Amino acid sequence: MDPIFSARGIVKAFAGVQALRGVDFNVLPGEIHALLGQNGAGKSTLVKILNGVHPAGSYSGEITLAGAGVSFASPAAARAAGVGYVPQEIEVLEQLSVAENVFAGHTGLGEGVLIYRHKLEDRTRAILDDLGLTIDPKAIVASLTSAQRHLVMIARALALRPRVLMLDEPTASLSGTEVEALLEVLRRLKRQGVTMIYITHRLPEVLEVCDRATVLRDGRVAAELGREEFEEERFIFAMSGQRLQKLFPTHEAPVGARPMLEVEHLNVAGKPGAIYGARDVSFSVASGEIVGLAGLLGSGRSEILHGIFGRVAAEGTVKVDGQPVAIRSPRDARDAGIALLTEDRKRDGLLFNLPVGANITIGNLDPLSARGMVRGDRERSAILEAMRQLNVKASSPQASVAHLSGGNQQKLLFARVLMRAPKVLLLDEPTKGVDAATRQEIYRLVVELADKGVALVVVSSELEEVLGLCDRCLTIADGRIVDAFKRGEGGEDRVLRAVAAAQAETVRAAS
Amino acid sequence: MNSAAPATTENPTAPSLRNRLISFIAIGEVGVIAALLLLVAFFYFMQPAFLSERNIRAILNVVSFVGIIAIGQTILLVAGEFDLSVGSVAGVSAVIAAQLMTALAWPVPLAILGGMGVGAFIGLVNGIIVVKFRIPAFIQTLGMLFIGQGLIQLVTGGYPVYPLPKEVSDFGMSTFAFGLGWSFAFFIVAAIVADFVLRRTVLGRNLYATGGNPEVARLVGINTTIYKIGAFITVGALSAVAGMFVMADLQSGTTSIGSGWELIVIAGVVVGGVSLFGGAGTIAGGVVGILMLKVVQSGLVVIGVNSNWQQIAVGVIMVLAVGLDILRRRYFTVGAGAKTAAAKKAGTQAGKISGA
Repeated sequence: MDPIFSARGIVKAFAGVQALRGVDFNVLPGEIHALLGQNGAGKSTLVKILNGVHPAGSYSGEITLAGAGVSFASPAAARAAGVGYVPQEIEVLEQLSVAENVFAGHTGLGEGVLIYRHKLEDRTRAILDDLGLTIDPKAIVASLTSAQRHLVMIARALALRPRVLMLDEPTASLSGTEVEALLEVLRRLKRQGVTMIYITHRLPEVLEVCDRATVLRDGRVAAELGREEFEEERFIFAMSGQRLQKLFPTHEAPVGARPMLEVEHLNVAGKPGAIYGARDVSFSVASGEIVGLAGLLGSGRSEILHGIFGRVAAEGTVKVDGQPVAIRSPRDARDAGIALLTEDRKRDGLLFNLPVGANITIGNLDPLSARGMVRGDRERSAILEAMRQLNVKASSPQASVAHLSGGNQQKLLFARVLMRAPKVLLLDEPTKGVDAATRQEIYRLVVELADKGVALVVVSSELEEVLGLCDRCLTIADGRIVDAFKRGEGGEDRVLRAVAAAQAETVRAAS
Repeated sequence: MNSAAPATTENPTAPSLRNRLISFIAIGEVGVIAALLLLVAFFYFMQPAFLSERNIRAILNVVSFVGIIAIGQTILLVAGEFDLSVGSVAGVSAVIAAQLMTALAWPVPLAILGGMGVGAFIGLVNGIIVVKFRIPAFIQTLGMLFIGQGLIQLVTGGYPVYPLPKEVSDFGMSTFAFGLGWSFAFFIVAAIVADFVLRRTVLGRNLYATGGNPEVARLVGINTTIYKIGAFITVGALSAVAGMFVMADLQSGTTSIGSGWELIVIAGVVVGGVSLFGGAGTIAGGVVGILMLKVVQSGLVVIGVNSNWQQIAVGVIMVLAVGLDILRRRYFTVGAGAKTAAAKKAGTQAGKISGA
């Protein structure tokens, strides 16, 4: 079978950095083709070439679509030629309806300059039906969950009837059941003959839905695998160039007896809309213990962390090392020895206007200054020490944080929160969007911190992570703790069952 | 671990000449200083009298008034807000101080303090309304611009406050060196102090963080409310000082003091590379930017161009300067995510903060 979409000998460099060094990429008609690789492997560069973000002429090599050579001058040209692209970040017009979003910017809606709402809605309904979805085309997008918004973006791409549909990490911000639903949509599209390129970090999804896979490493194709060759070890080897050891490291030191963090009757108001706050949440974390909060996106996991840290208003008592502390702001929490690593690096973590070094020391300058003046020498050595300890790879402390890979950005934020040697560390999705090698480093770091006596709370959408890393797992649903068990006392099925039971109860209570 | 970070192997203590050159060009102020020198050379070539002692003195004295405000505006922009009422505040503070020392016969130093107090108080009001009540700075300070204009008329009844006590007139006429007035001395000292604060102190760093991303700043424990309100108060007080210097210079509490300054101040600091979106820019840049605008205005007069062209020139230069700056940043931030809004802001400060 001839490929429907292929790239040959793609070479691309940025300001002297070789991003792609001769990549061949072939997608066969009707398949779901996985594109894998660690951050920095060249994945996003290849994607940007294929969807016209890097215009023809800025790279060398050839691209063919349905047998004919093509060169895209812009994303619009790629779209017009039949390359659909669904970006990783949700880009929707929140105040418009689903139908208006699906057809936003499309031409050919019929009669002249006027738009007929019912036609728009009918056509949107047809597309959503093809996807097997029951979203109302008239619904305002602001009222949808982020998973639904993602599906609206897929519908938008499909409205142009693309020959190839590229999906860029579509599950990065989805929870377990939402991922399942999305994969089901993809299987459905495949049955309808849609060819898809599936860009992801997550191996289980590749194993589940993809037909073939291309793995990039260091700007080259490290492996091109057919379904019959799919094997987790093989992917990991191709991506990392080495066989990874056991995925989760284990504690050296035993969990301490002394409770380091005690949370009693914590209540956090939910945001207006669908998301639950925290309702009467009580738990404690011993020194040296890692406690995981499992649950679906929007179950209130993050709100619990935000409530403890004073990011949002909360009621209840928080004790650190046995002492009750009044936390009205993040500053109070920080002074009490609590640190928070936020989920969204770009929005709530990095300061893009400051270089790498200042990003690490911001908020921690007091010991590095004298009479209000920053001591350059002290700051520089503290930065270099933090970068070395956490293996933050940047050309210098003056480098821009925008140039760092996702993994290095995450390690930088760890360096920032660890500078104060917190007693309690709250981690919200600590491995979201980082490559496999950094993930390992972060797991090792978490365990090391626990061994040193830090109390850790980890929120993660990946159940495997919660179960593998944590000493104790608290299952959260609808803002409440619905189950708690120690390591080894249950698996993913136990968490999912507890969530399902809680949801069933909520439905019963509502009816 | 990945191919995109070859620079890690580089020895940071021995950058190549090329890297040094690139990082030099990447410094924000270099472009605007080069443009300033070019303009000075051009006007000198057209009319050597441009660099006469008298003209230089005139330019520097005029720059000092708006320059004092530009210092405050730069600080406020770095903190992520801006103030359109600076001209009105300068005017109100000046006429109130003038009334205090004439109609109420307050001692001059006390009346001056009173004028500064008025400026600082208006800044406090602006700050509280913007930060606490979340009214956009554009709306609040535009409103304050009109309120200030009205207050000037109320306080003076529409007539200049004249004559002022002799000390004030003497002070306005006196010079500290090279025929430059005390306003210039104040301007230079304030600029040096403010530049030091932004570059070297914890306070300065926290201001950049506040302007860069207020939520991140809050999460790392910075009291962004205080920083922003403080920046508003600083602008207000400095506007008052500038207004009173003009009053002393004119030896009269004229109702037109400060009129129209708000736009020239913002245009000037923006030409100097201070970002309207917060978190980026330096005092040196802002000050050089406003100097450049004044050089152009004066230069056009000296070479005999119709004065109406000055306004056009200021507009063209501002768009040109900001446009070139954006192009430069785009060039120096190619690569990862250069297309994102975050990255657009990103290129601006790396390399400017020397503390790291």
